[in-house]
Amino acid sequence: MKVFENLNIDFISKRKIAYVISGTLILLGLLSLAVRGLEYGIDFKGGTDIALKFDKPIDIAEARSNLSKLDLGNIEVKTFGDDTGILLRTELQSVPANVYNEVIGEINSAILTIAADSIVSISDSSSNAVTFTFTDVNVANQVESKLQNDGYQTSRLDDNNIIVRVGIADWVVGELKSKIPNNNFEILKEDHVGPKIGSELKQDSVISVILALLGILIYLGFRFKFIFAFGGVVALFHDVLITLGLFSILKGLVPGLNLEISITVVAAFLTLVGYSINDTVIVFDRIRENIKIHKTASIEDNINIAINSTMRRTVITSLTTLFTSAVLLIFGGEVLSGFAFALTFGIIIGTYSSIFVASPIIYEYVQRTKKNIQF
Amino acid sequence: MKEFRFRLLLIVGVLAFSIYLLYPTFADIQNTNKIEKELSLLSEDLRKSNPTISEAEINNMLLIREDSLMIKDPSITENREKRMKLGLDLQGGMYLVMEVNTSKLLEKLAKDPDDEFTAILEAASAEAQITDANVVDILATKISASGKRLSRYFGSIREEDSDIITKLKEQESDAVTRAIEIINNRVNQYGVSEPNIQKQGSRRIIVELPGVAKEDEAKRLLQGSALLEFKIVKEADFSVPIMNRIDEVLAANLNSETDSTKIDVTDTTNAKDLTAEQFAKEHPFYSIAIINPQSPYADAYVKETDKNQVMAYLRKPEVKNVIPDNAEFLFDAKPFTNQDGVNIFRLYLVNKEAELTGGVIVDALANIDPQTTEPIVTMQMNSEGAREWARITGSNIEKRCAIVLDNAIYSAPTIQGKIPGGSSRITGMADMNEAKLLQIVLKAGALPAPVEIMEERIVGPSLGQDSINKGYNSALIGFFVVAIFMIYYYKKSGVIADIGLIVTIISIMGILAAFHATLTLPGIAGIILTIGMAVDANVIIYERIREELKTGKTSKAAIDSGFVNSYSAILDSNITTFFTGIILYQFGSGPVQGFALTLMIGIATSLFSAFVVTRVIFDMLVAKGNKINIG
Repeated sequence: MKVFENLNIDFISKRKIAYVISGTLILLGLLSLAVRGLEYGIDFKGGTDIALKFDKPIDIAEARSNLSKLDLGNIEVKTFGDDTGILLRTELQSVPANVYNEVIGEINSAILTIAADSIVSISDSSSNAVTFTFTDVNVANQVESKLQNDGYQTSRLDDNNIIVRVGIADWVVGELKSKIPNNNFEILKEDHVGPKIGSELKQDSVISVILALLGILIYLGFRFKFIFAFGGVVALFHDVLITLGLFSILKGLVPGLNLEISITVVAAFLTLVGYSINDTVIVFDRIRENIKIHKTASIEDNINIAINSTMRRTVITSLTTLFTSAVLLIFGGEVLSGFAFALTFGIIIGTYSSIFVASPIIYEYVQRTKKNIQF
Repeated sequence: MKEFRFRLLLIVGVLAFSIYLLYPTFADIQNTNKIEKELSLLSEDLRKSNPTISEAEINNMLLIREDSLMIKDPSITENREKRMKLGLDLQGGMYLVMEVNTSKLLEKLAKDPDDEFTAILEAASAEAQITDANVVDILATKISASGKRLSRYFGSIREEDSDIITKLKEQESDAVTRAIEIINNRVNQYGVSEPNIQKQGSRRIIVELPGVAKEDEAKRLLQGSALLEFKIVKEADFSVPIMNRIDEVLAANLNSETDSTKIDVTDTTNAKDLTAEQFAKEHPFYSIAIINPQSPYADAYVKETDKNQVMAYLRKPEVKNVIPDNAEFLFDAKPFTNQDGVNIFRLYLVNKEAELTGGVIVDALANIDPQTTEPIVTMQMNSEGAREWARITGSNIEKRCAIVLDNAIYSAPTIQGKIPGGSSRITGMADMNEAKLLQIVLKAGALPAPVEIMEERIVGPSLGQDSINKGYNSALIGFFVVAIFMIYYYKKSGVIADIGLIVTIISIMGILAAFHATLTLPGIAGIILTIGMAVDANVIIYERIREELKTGKTSKAAIDSGFVNSYSAILDSNITTFFTGIILYQFGSGPVQGFALTLMIGIATSLFSAFVVTRVIFDMLVAKGNKINIG
């Protein structure tokens, strides 16, 4: 196979085109990040845990598929205790607004069936509870027992006021009862849960990434020259910013592609930082070698020759990694799609940046300072 | 062939070691299958022989059989402990709901709490249990209902109630956040186990741990509050009179309670003639808390069976009145066994005020004392702690200093002289596991308030079987795509690279197993990705060799200079990435750490494959006179 054999492209003279492309991509990404933002997953936002207890053993796969048909956003379903319990975790913090009114309507009609002629008024409603006021204590008593029979969680504020909880569980119960008719169940609990990535973990991760970038800067500065290290780190920022921008631009647009930011996606970005520097270092290594050998050649030539002669390995090394991430993207299912997406596009952009961003920065530096780099 | 012997041995060694590390995982899979098969046969038999048998009975029988199988073959448990665990997403694990006891925190914060306060707090925490409402709110309402201002117990006199409530709430939520941080640290120090730790509601914490082995240990790890204190033990001439008073008070009290009708007065001066029963009546305290008159110390020896009784005595209000405010009684953490085989706890009277607390500890290490072969924990204090420690030890020479952990005394060594260095050690642990646990708990810090386990369940995997299958399949496909591409592009040399790839995968898995890492689906995806990256080193070397061949070198010379000239590029790029890994591992926590570990292992193993495995194969081929074919 002879691909890119005897390649001789003047990359440096075309750097301005690359600047425009990179600048546009970064700008678009930043714009989208500012306007559309990112979609954070349950790992960051937290959500609601609902434990259900069934009368008979339940098939977890069936429960999972039934629950995923509800509008619960991203969910996690697993067995809870023995095989009659399931734990549902949804990213929702409270009942969605449109459903909320529906549930209130149902409660209202339930009340009207026994207290049609009494005066009902909603005295207070919050996102997860509603208070009904009755003028007659007897009616209130009847209504409360009726609501409890229907499976609502109620409590009495005083003689005339009944608080009815409008939890996600209440809504799920209604929907699920029709889907699984022959297996009765009750709600064990419904609790709000905080994010998996707490503030400390977030802070830790950010600090460790900054330190890692500093480490790269110092090591490359020590092994090459500071300007090389600077170019490498700029290229890294370039890659991460554009990929992050893509997450923001494409979120929710491609069906089947889950671009929520989760722990896994963060891991993908960290991998990207680690990996995308590799290509850059390979080119740098060859520039260093060329500068050592061709002391009199211009920096422009040395960089161009280095990029051309390493082109094959730059492309092939990226390609092998790209194969695996593309396979994960295509066959890995929804769980891995965010991870694989970040890597697939990150690697492509990383390869591009090690040729068109990192090396031209060195050229610009030499051009501007008129200093010669020597190893 | 001689020149290759060392490298070949090295490769065989690495492979053998990896397989050795992976063996428990294989064995555990087989054991689990075997046990499952046996259990399903048994349950079939049971159903057939006794059709009316209830589900619960069958489950019970199955459990008994499983236990007996595990006991019969201890290697099953051993392998299970050493296997590579599957994460919460693939296999599920243990789900615990813990509650931070914030009323204990309020009790600590309160200034001169009186009985009324204690009663109100108790009622408030009971109410909070039911309603999950904020303890501070309930307490505040109750205190103002009793006609008092909050500033009686908290904050300063000038502060408004509402300000105090805000401050207390802040401290309450701080305590929960700290508890989460500490639990996080403790769990993570146990290895890379990918737990889930989340806050639930206002003061509960959900902890999910993959796998369910070592259940008790995990619970102790999560619950132990590990408040470490150093307290000076009171000397005999201080404590004996107090114990005498306790004995008297108890005797008077018990006699008036049980024997109020009894009028006879017994002669108490003639103690040695008393029968055991009479002695017990006259000296209720000394009869079960025995002082050795020969010993210079006034430690009371209490049988394990009497410990609760003694504690009940010490809780009595009339006894509390006798004990001075600056002293308290504490038991040994662990009993010793006397020559009659009876477990005995020592009861010490110590200063109530701790000289120093565990907050000054910067490092702790569990170790075996080479002299006594006893497990010990050594710890290092920060400079401030060390200075205090020197002062304390200097002014208390010849006295004993009790090392108190969660209100139990681990050891009470006599201070021989001033200790300037700030390093101390704790003895008295039952075994090395306990010492390790103590080390983790000391390093991670003390919980700000006690936590209680409210709920505990086994949860199944969070991913469906189809998601898991998709993950596995894509991993396999990814591997084959890379492997086939290498052969297609580099022909024979591609095959060599693929051999290196297989060595890489086996050693990655082996090293991960050695770290007790937990495999999650994203973790597997990460390993697959390392496969794509692992061949990079080979690609760089091959391309270089190709370049060298083009300049007209012989196969051997081209290979030599190809490898040598690639070193700097490969090493520089990988060391840079490795750096990132070290920093992320060191400063990151939780999932970031797990990721960093996989990254570093991937780099190390793929470098080994490229520089040792492929190299030796090339060298051997050239030595045999084969022509090198690189695409």
